[in-house]
Amino acid sequence: MGALVNSIVEDGALGAKGSGMPEPRASIEKDMCTHPGVIGGLCIRCGQKVDDQSGVAFGYIHKDLRLGNDEVARIRKRDFKNLLRQKKLYLVLDLDHTLLNSTRFLDVTPEEEYLRSQTHALQEPLKGSLFRLDNLHMLTKLRPFVRTFLKEASNLFEMYIYTMGERAYAMEMAKLLDPENVHFNSKVIAQGDCTQRHQKGLDVVLGHESAVLILDDTEPVWVKHKDNLILMERYNFFASSCRQFGFNCKSLSELKSDESEADGALATVLEVLKQIHGMFFDQKLGDNLVDRDVRQVLKTVRMEVLKGCKLVFSRVFPTKFQAEKHQLWKMAEQLGALCTAELDPSVTHVVSTDAGTEKSHWAVREKRFLVHPRWIEAANYLWQKQPEENFPVKQTKS
Amino acid sequence: MFFHIVLERNMQLHPRHFGRDLRDKLVAKLMKDVEGTCSGRHGFVVAITGVEHVGKGLIRDGTGFVTFPVKYQCVVFRPFKGEILEAVVTMVNKMGFFAEAGPVQIFVSNHLIPDDMEFQSGDMPNYTTSDGSVKIQKDSEVRLKIIGTRVDATEIFCIGTIKDDFLGVISDPGATS
Repeated sequence: MGALVNSIVEDGALGAKGSGMPEPRASIEKDMCTHPGVIGGLCIRCGQKVDDQSGVAFGYIHKDLRLGNDEVARIRKRDFKNLLRQKKLYLVLDLDHTLLNSTRFLDVTPEEEYLRSQTHALQEPLKGSLFRLDNLHMLTKLRPFVRTFLKEASNLFEMYIYTMGERAYAMEMAKLLDPENVHFNSKVIAQGDCTQRHQKGLDVVLGHESAVLILDDTEPVWVKHKDNLILMERYNFFASSCRQFGFNCKSLSELKSDESEADGALATVLEVLKQIHGMFFDQKLGDNLVDRDVRQVLKTVRMEVLKGCKLVFSRVFPTKFQAEKHQLWKMAEQLGALCTAELDPSVTHVVSTDAGTEKSHWAVREKRFLVHPRWIEAANYLWQKQPEENFPVKQTKS
Repeated sequence: MFFHIVLERNMQLHPRHFGRDLRDKLVAKLMKDVEGTCSGRHGFVVAITGVEHVGKGLIRDGTGFVTFPVKYQCVVFRPFKGEILEAVVTMVNKMGFFAEAGPVQIFVSNHLIPDDMEFQSGDMPNYTTSDGSVKIQKDSEVRLKIIGTRVDATEIFCIGTIKDDFLGVISDPGATS
């Protein structure tokens, strides 16, 4: 490969790719360097000092790393090809209320005091699910099934942690979830890495948007990437969490109970992820894998949940509110249901909050399903049509 | 590259240390203050090997502290642009890898890794040639060339390359030799 020449290279010049011509002036190479990225104030390609503050900061990979947009695109493309060969996609995971729940020491209620003696040793993270972090003054409870979830998901996805918590918190949580640093090495993104305040973005993830799925309990932070998002049911173990979201009931910790391991949210979403993964890598589809879009697959799988249902809403939307714009209407449509404003013989479900309305009576008379709006939300979280009899509608006294 | 040089420093000593062990205390303070620090000119001070000369102390007006000019010998480590070093890989990711040569941290980006080496993610991320014959992973020893350096008060950071001839893996941590 003509590697014998090129030994007379001046200070700082890059070795030419076996072109057979000695490089006369190192300065030519340096001037031509586009400085694709800067780390510690030095260009990653030519080593020169660079003052440039352009591009995106990737502080979670190295505290002083910035990459230009071209470089990010180049890495994304290369990495995508690499992942496709391994038949993997990208999965971005939120921490709080998705994979775990934390509470501060000072927020622990009297009924939760018993937990303090049940925490597991930090040195043996694989054995327990409840941990006491003295340096952060917090108790953390991992969501049931999370270890199995991570293990199985890692076979299908390259995973990132993306939290709105601070870096120190994020790294501690990563140590609990991934003590051997196998899943999240250099892939823990925290609040300080976001390029926009109060918004999470895929701009700091080194993966193609068309191949990323997001698991998060909060929708508003992913405004730019709603199509990649799988909304998770919130995990509120501690009393402080319940109060944070306005629930006045006793928390799981106070009831000495927990989410089911075998059919909790993580187990359910794992099956959905497997389904989406299988559909994405389906050989029979013929076209180039690089052109496929996981967002399309996600949409398709969602559309199956309430396929065949035709819904009419009664006393669900405020009067004078444009029904089609309501969140529930849109949710039902995304789940594959047909929504309509007026009753007709093809209607299958009446969704109502009051069993005394005209439409509700019609449903009972015509032997159609009468369900509470929570039936739609349940389908959204559980990715399956739920038995209608579990969502009865009460008669409200007028 | 390591150097054995003579440096000079003005050491300030509090009057409570004056007495029989003044010189020892001075030397101890010197070691505490200087070993492990960095400067742009000399690099990283690894160890003080001896004190050549302690000059006459000068009392500072108003405080009672005394300043002694101290000449001392020490071993310093300073990387140079173009220098070829051996380093141990500490972390591998899709951007490249980080390696350490003593107190110096070096980053080799994937731009400066031979094109026939591909990044393999997994529980032991690495860069491997297509035939699998050469692998760079954590704890591998590599020979690299420095192409840029930056020094601040506590650390030296460098950019390196392994794209030239005779650079690359020296030993595989998993290999039986």
